[in-house]
Order: sequence, then C-alpha cells, then structure tokens
Amino acid sequence: MIRVELRKQTFRVRTYILLGLVICIPVLMTVAVELGRRPRNENNFFALASHSGLNVPLAALTASTSFLLVIVVSLFAGGAVADEAGWGSLRYLLLRPVSRGRLLFDKLIVVVVMAILATLFIAVSGLIAGTIAFGWHAVATPDGIEFGQGSALGKLALSTLYVAWCMSGIAALAFMISTMTDASLGAVISALGVSIVSQILDAISSLGSVRTLLITHYWHAWEGLFANPVTSSDMIKGVIVQLPYAAIFLVLAWWWFHRRDILC
Amino acid sequence: MTRAEPQLSSPRAGRNGGEAAAISVVSLSKRFSPDVLAVDDVSLDVHKGAIYGLLGPNGAGKTTLLRTILGLVHPTSGAAFLFGERLTPGSPLLRRVGSLIESPGFVPHLSGIENLKAYWEAGGQALSAANLDQALAIAGLGSAIRRKVRTYSKGMQQRLALAQVLLNKPELLVLDEPTIGLDPGEMRDVRELIRSLADHGATVLLSSHILVEVEQVCSHVAVMNLGKLVASGTVDELIGASQSVYLEVDDVGRAVALLKSIPGVSRVEGDAGGISISLSGVERKVIVTALVHANIGVETIESRHRLEDAFLGIVEGTES
Repeated sequence: MIRVELRKQTFRVRTYILLGLVICIPVLMTVAVELGRRPRNENNFFALASHSGLNVPLAALTASTSFLLVIVVSLFAGGAVADEAGWGSLRYLLLRPVSRGRLLFDKLIVVVVMAILATLFIAVSGLIAGTIAFGWHAVATPDGIEFGQGSALGKLALSTLYVAWCMSGIAALAFMISTMTDASLGAVISALGVSIVSQILDAISSLGSVRTLLITHYWHAWEGLFANPVTSSDMIKGVIVQLPYAAIFLVLAWWWFHRRDILC
Repeated sequence: MTRAEPQLSSPRAGRNGGEAAAISVVSLSKRFSPDVLAVDDVSLDVHKGAIYGLLGPNGAGKTTLLRTILGLVHPTSGAAFLFGERLTPGSPLLRRVGSLIESPGFVPHLSGIENLKAYWEAGGQALSAANLDQALAIAGLGSAIRRKVRTYSKGMQQRLALAQVLLNKPELLVLDEPTIGLDPGEMRDVRELIRSLADHGATVLLSSHILVEVEQVCSHVAVMNLGKLVASGTVDELIGASQSVYLEVDDVGRAVALLKSIPGVSRVEGDAGGISISLSGVERKVIVTALVHANIGVETIESRHRLEDAFLGIVEGTES
C-alpha cells in the first residue's frame, strides 16, 4: 500500500518540479559563485563556496533550509490528504477495507521519504556541481580551520540528515492541517507562515531563552560540526526540540482524521 | 404504501428468524450543527436481492444517509449494519461493497487503469484478484483507459467509477445517482447492468432524481424529505393500485362530466384540452369506448409517470 501512495507521487509532474528545484538551486549557486569569483573578506559558507566542492553543499543547505526546503516539504506534507480530498478520491480510499490510521501512516511514510529525498538532493547536487567546478579539496570553514575530505564528507552526511530531521515539526504541522482541509495550499501556507513567524521571533533577542523552544531555532545548529571547537550540543537540542512538535501535530492529525466526517 | 415505522430492534435480533438484511439502518440520525439535522431518525431495511431506490429532493439527506451507512460519516445516534454486522470505518465488510458516492473521484494525473489499480491495491490485494475484465468492459473506454483521467469527460469518469464499483464483484452496491452525466444509451446500459447484477444475487441501494429510471429498475423505494424517511415499500405499494392516465379530447367539458360518472374513475382534473384521471379496476379501453360513444374525439391517451405523482404527493404532503 505504501507503494500505491508512492506511485501517486512519482507519476506526478509536481513531484518532478519540486525535486528538480532542489537539484537546480545548488547548481545555480555553483554557477553564480564561479561567474562572480572575486576576493572576499566575508567569512560565511557562501563566501567560502568556491574553496572546495565540499563547501558548496554546505552553502546550499544554509541557503535553502529557512525557505526553499520548508516550501518543498510543506507541499509534500500539506498535499498528503488534502489533495485526495480535493480530487474527490479520499472517500473512495476510505471505502476500502483499510483503517483510517493505516492510510494516514502510509501517507506519512511517503511524506518522510519525499522530505528526506529533497534534503538529500540539495546536498548531493551541491556536492557534484561543486566538485566539478571547484575540485575535491578540504573544506574551509568560517572559523578559519579546515577539515579533510573524509571527515568533512561524514559531517556533511550528518548535517544533511539533521536538516531533514529539522523539517519534521513543520512537516507534521502541514500534515495535520492536510487532514483537516480540502485545499492543500492552505496547509502549505500555514506551515510556511508558522516557520516565518518562528524565525521572526527568533530574531528578537530580548525574548531570551524562550527562543530555544521555537521550531526553527536550531535549524542551523549543524554548522557547529564545522566550528572551532566542534560543538554538537545545539544539534542534540535541535533534535529533541522537534520531537514534541512532531508528536503533538501527528497525534492531533490522527485524532482529527478518525473523528472526521468525510463530506468531500 | 407503508409509512416508515421506527424499528428499534437490532438486526442481530432478527437473525434467529432469518437472514440478516444486506443493509439495516436503525434509528439513525446525523446532526452536523445545532441547526442542521441532515438525517433524522431514519430506520430502513434493504433485504438481500432488492433493488432499493432512495428518492428525495435535493438536500433531503440522501447522500448523508449513504455516507453514514458506509462509515464515511459518523452517526450522531443510531447505527447502520451491513449483513448484520455493525459497520466501522475500514471494516473488512467493505470488501463486499461497491460504491459510488456523489461523483467519481480519481487521481487526475494517473491513467484510468492506474486509478483502478491504486483503488484496488489500497485495499491490500493484488490486482490479479480483481474482477478487472468485466469492470473494463463496463467502462468501455477502449484505449482511453491508458490516458490520464484529467483528460476524461464527465461521462467517461462516471463509467470509470462504475467500473471501480464492480472491481470486487460486490454483493452490495451503494450508488448515488449512478447515471448522472451519462447519455441516454449509457443510462440504459447502466439500468441493464444494475438489473443483471441483481439477477445474480447482488443487492442495490441507489439514489436518483430520475423517477422513471427508479420505476423501471427498482423493486423497492424509500422517500426522504428534510432528513426524515417519509415513505418506504415496494414500488407498487408506493404508487398504489390506481393508475394515472392523461387524455386529450376535443370537448373537455362534456368529457369531464362523462368520466366522473364512470365507476372506478377518480380524481378527474380537466384543463384546456387535457384531462388527468386515476383509474382503479377500469381498463383504459372502457374509457375510450365510452368517450367515443358519446361522440367525444380522443386525440391522446397515455400513462402518466405514476411514481413521479406519488413522489411529489409524498414530498409535498410532508412539507405542509
């Protein structure tokens, strides 16, 4: 049954557009950096992108996490149930001898697969385009130290997984709204709105430590893996802070979907 | 005609005596909001092998009743039983049911055949177990079955939906306006299909606005209005023994007087050129002969849609 749900996504033009988008962005960045190469004084992942092929995926992750990836993941999660409702096929799915919980679970698995793929494609596309353009060198970091290719590749893999995990709270929110509406765009916009509000609140330093509870607060904590000294404590907090968000939204989605009258 | 009586006993209780009904609805109500009582204490038994027509004006609660029977809508009170067992969402009982609710619903970017496959496999079975050949024959879509559903006309989608209904060789079909969007030839095909399924032992519950169709196809009829079941029974019971006839004559005034004097003729209503009468125990040729003997020219004599009259009478009767 998960195969059925996957097939619905793989034969869909929108899936190709979204995944194509996350593949194209790192390539575009590589081209832009290549064309605009000039000495820089800044020290961030963008400025360092031309240093090595391994630097490009780090810059791409930094650039896409806050917005592009949120949109892509929200589209997959927000459409999961609402698209079927909009097409009118949801009622027929629910007239099959399969529990609503099972259907929801299968849909969720497909969302997870798509979210991981999208994140992975950003890193892999950046890695390939970057290596072609700038070669296979040690990674340069904003703190001025370098990491060898082997250890950098491991850190990149861990960072990619971490970024994918960071999407879980937002994805669960979009998924929850998807079980409540017939318009998937509503779910997408809500998820995007929450992430934007969270990022705005996160920028208000007077809010103090409350900000660490925000869904977006630790999204860039993987950068600690490339810092001097290497820190992973924020990453661990980042992993933990997503848990209650994801759990609450998914439980609500489950609860709502079971008590819902299917009128679409 | 039998007015619907609330039936409070569970269909399980009736099991000792005989076979459980294919569908048994017991005191079912659905309230969507304090103001909206879509289904109001409906009790209904659809016995195996029956072709049951569900009639009612728009907004009468027909679709909500069908959705509740199938577990898509949770009842506020009461319950629906299929084959004597209470239906819960996702119940294995649904394997025995084919349904078309309100309108076809397909994934637009998949082909017709891919949609059938997705629908079937969502039930956890391989497509090889499905009744695919008959279903495809019913759909009659030819090579279009491999085209994306997005490109289908409304009629094509309706035919694909009927094919979907047949995939599991259903013992029970729940069809909400099955011929909507079809042309007259296709409508006839669907009527024949429904009859042949019933001949092979299937039970059918269908809603329709096309009363002629219901009169031709159905063995039983239930009428809903404002959420309530206002009448149910066999088609003959609902129509009554009388027969409604429409006449066109050249002298309405004399004809009306004459007709009123013939025993067995009731409800004589004449207007400019036309007369409606109800006959019981009188053959039409008796009427014609009497008129001709009185030198009244008969231009037309035809049966009226009796179910339509009965239906409108019931609905108007319950609204006042």
